[in-house]
Amino acid sequence: MTRLRVVLFRLLALVRSRQMDREIDDEITSHLAEATEESVRQGLSPEEARWAAQRSFGGVTQTKEVYRQVRSFRWLEDLARDLRHALRTLRKSPAFTMAAAATLALAIGTNTAMFSVLNAVLLRPLPYRSPEQLAMLWTEDPTQNLREGRSALWDVEQWQSQSQSFADMATFDAVSTVLTGADGAEQIVGASISPNLLPLLGVRPVLGRSFSTEEAEQRQRPVLISHRFWQARFGGSHDAIGATLVLNGFPSQIVGILPADFQIARLDADVWVPHSSRQSVRGGQMWFVIGRLRPGVTFDQAQAEMRAVARRLNDQLPAAERDQGISVVPLSLYVVGPQSRLALWLLGGAVLCVLLIAAANVTSLSLARSTARAREMAVRAALGANAGRIVRQLLTESVLLAAVSGLIGTLLALVAIRLIRAFGPGTLPRLNEVSLDVRVLGWALATSLLAGILVGLAPAMTTLRRDLRLAGEEGGRSVSGGASSRRIRRALVVAEFALAIVLLVGAGLLVRSWRYVNSIDPGFTPERVLVMEVSSPTTFSVPAQRTDLYHRVLEQIQAVPGVESAGITGDLFTANPRDQVLTVERDEGTVSERLRFTRDEVSADFFRTLGTPLLRGRFFSIGDRPEAPRVAIINDAMARRSWPGYDPVGRRFTLGPRDSDGPWYTVVGVVGDMRRQGLEREALPQIFVSLAQNPPPLNVDLFIRTSSDDPLAMAGALRAAVRRVEKNAPIYGVAPLEQQLGTYLTQRRFQTSLLTGFSVVALLMAAVGIYGLVQYSVATRTQEIGLRMAIGAQRGDIFRMMIGEGLTLSLTGVALGLVGAWWLGRAGSSLLFGVTTSDPLTFTAVSLLLTAVATAACYFPARRAMTVDPIVALRVT
Amino acid sequence: MTPDKSDVLYGTLGLMVIKTLEALGPLHGYRIARRIEQISGNQLALNQGTLYPALLKLEQMGWISSKWGTSESGRRVKIYALTRAGRKQLHNEEAQWQRAANIVERFLKISEDPS
Repeated sequence: MTRLRVVLFRLLALVRSRQMDREIDDEITSHLAEATEESVRQGLSPEEARWAAQRSFGGVTQTKEVYRQVRSFRWLEDLARDLRHALRTLRKSPAFTMAAAATLALAIGTNTAMFSVLNAVLLRPLPYRSPEQLAMLWTEDPTQNLREGRSALWDVEQWQSQSQSFADMATFDAVSTVLTGADGAEQIVGASISPNLLPLLGVRPVLGRSFSTEEAEQRQRPVLISHRFWQARFGGSHDAIGATLVLNGFPSQIVGILPADFQIARLDADVWVPHSSRQSVRGGQMWFVIGRLRPGVTFDQAQAEMRAVARRLNDQLPAAERDQGISVVPLSLYVVGPQSRLALWLLGGAVLCVLLIAAANVTSLSLARSTARAREMAVRAALGANAGRIVRQLLTESVLLAAVSGLIGTLLALVAIRLIRAFGPGTLPRLNEVSLDVRVLGWALATSLLAGILVGLAPAMTTLRRDLRLAGEEGGRSVSGGASSRRIRRALVVAEFALAIVLLVGAGLLVRSWRYVNSIDPGFTPERVLVMEVSSPTTFSVPAQRTDLYHRVLEQIQAVPGVESAGITGDLFTANPRDQVLTVERDEGTVSERLRFTRDEVSADFFRTLGTPLLRGRFFSIGDRPEAPRVAIINDAMARRSWPGYDPVGRRFTLGPRDSDGPWYTVVGVVGDMRRQGLEREALPQIFVSLAQNPPPLNVDLFIRTSSDDPLAMAGALRAAVRRVEKNAPIYGVAPLEQQLGTYLTQRRFQTSLLTGFSVVALLMAAVGIYGLVQYSVATRTQEIGLRMAIGAQRGDIFRMMIGEGLTLSLTGVALGLVGAWWLGRAGSSLLFGVTTSDPLTFTAVSLLLTAVATAACYFPARRAMTVDPIVALRVT
Repeated sequence: MTPDKSDVLYGTLGLMVIKTLEALGPLHGYRIARRIEQISGNQLALNQGTLYPALLKLEQMGWISSKWGTSESGRRVKIYALTRAGRKQLHNEEAQWQRAANIVERFLKISEDPS
């Protein structure tokens, strides 16, 4: 109670310190006057009386000092005073303050923005209950180099019944869904999930309910909708519950709304429907599997158990599939893959480098200033400030500077976060969660404080070491900086250059990789090609109807002026090829093997439209009628894989095991490899079958080669052509093929442009750093230069001396940096493509660039040194 | 911020101050100083200045209160008065002092009487 009172009293005193100063002054004055008066009454002369009063009172100043100590928190008052003084000092030198604050704000801002990305993508736990217990389960087959394969429902049931590690397992997959509404049909993203998935994740609908296992078994049609879909279609109204959606032609009832931003792993959908997990037959290997570990079970233990389960199960599988294993991967590792993780950590490291360089620069600046302020410090010391007090003052200044910079930096980060959310690569998961939360703010505060202390420490230390009184004597003269402060500044420049070159080499390697990836031939010519995705309306459930539909659509489109050719395939950019058993006829006999390949129905003109070269045989033709023998075209990778060393044209294969009753296909042609899974991935074996001979898919990609350089301009006419054939066919995803191909590059472009941006900032800062150092060196050594010239040094000698000083430092930094870059490059090697981590071109170019920048930065101050007039220089003192 | 007694009472200065205020009622700084000097028979060469930090401390503890007023000679002075908490504190302190003094006295008697 009493203690609280004292604290309150002292805090109050802090606020009214000035008034209290006045009051104690008044009190002491009154006291002395009373004392004097009493002595006069006792017969002393006024003069003597005053002396007597002062004698018995003691030192007035000491009294006030003790009084002030009692009055409030000494350190707090000191801090307030230091802050006021720091503010004054900073205001007095606006050039320094602005330069330093801008540098630090930029560095803190980029750091905070980058951290917000790291925080959202890597650090924040996934938005499920106890996400650390969640794992993805994959079917793997080492003999096929298959790691993350999907699984059959029957398998999952076996896994679950034979293992102890998992509390539960659930399955899900994306399903293409057509929504039929009042204004026509449209394609939306749907997901099929086992009914236990949401309880397993610990996610509940925000409104309504989840579906039950019974509903899934009884094949009723309940549906959950996403928050986004709810807002867009129902305006967030509660009436949505119980409403009916027509999905793929069947009325389905909405039973619940999922939380905003809900996704399962990487799957984001608008409608979620249940599927029964009970299977009588094994079914296709088409499901993603997610499991929740029992408490206390580690991923390693689970993996060990599943390995044993896989061995037992293999005995019951068809011969071709006996090499299967089960791999257990933490969900967080699946959601953000190792590649993205590495890239983000490296980018995080890069911005930290930028922060260090910025801090080094500002330190260097304030060191230069502290030399100039030696006299001020000497005066303070003479007036009784001890070293600790002076250090505190200097630190207060730099921390205040950093705090202001941090504030500006945080505002910059806010802008940057918006930009990242708007323009960041959609392929980077969880980017939509990037925001400025408490942790990010904490980080901004921490970096600001760190920067403040780093920046203030060096000047403070040199001030401490310097003999303050000595500096006072020399203070007026042009001392060429304390020796130790000069040493520190030189070391800082070396460090800046070393860090800058590490960043530049990294950026250079990424740029080179990017250019390499860009120059890769995708196996087709995307220029002037427009892509449209078209779904067949649900009334076209008979395959022959769809064959006819697509045929008529192609006819109509080819009739549009400006169209050169048009083709159809199921899905050009297949994200998830499946693994299937394939049986092929070879010279030595018929062989079944499990293979990861793609199989697509294509129209006759498909290859011509995409510009894919024919290597052997022929394309599909009009003669390949439905009743004719089934034909297929394979790509080069498939030819090499299945008929190595032979001409595959004329050979036969069938999908599935040898004894399956599927049709046999005869290979009629071989086409070049198309990189359909991204430019950086080798083409998979691909099989193309004729659209006319096989049941066509429900959704197709339409490719239209136009004569226009801007194929998008023709979108309207092409849409109308499709509508003329079937007005209920949803059309979506209309984009130039070049742009679709470009999305594969977005993440790489994001990384590359960020790192390039950071390294340019680093380079500029390093240049400013060395410029400042040489400039300052010239300014403080005017006398020395004058003296040198007076005793015969030529202007050229002076120039070389100053340039040499700068270049020695920068080259030392470059050398150190190259070693560091080479060493760090190996850590990031998996991000590179087509270049080695020690790419000589990059290393040479970057070294030359940095040396050129350093030379330019030293050139101007060195020129100034040359023009020093010896007479003036010597007279200045 | 522990209210250490020796610290708070500046030795015994604080105790003297509150005892003075109890005996004479509200007083201003100079009067308090003079009174303490008189009681001690001018044996206590007190630096009068040290009185003010002590007064402030007592006020922070809530044992005395102060307000501006006028001295007998018409000067503007701060007048200090004992609060209820101060009075209670004084009684505690007095009792403790008595006990301490008694103990010390007994010790001194023993050493005077070497048996």
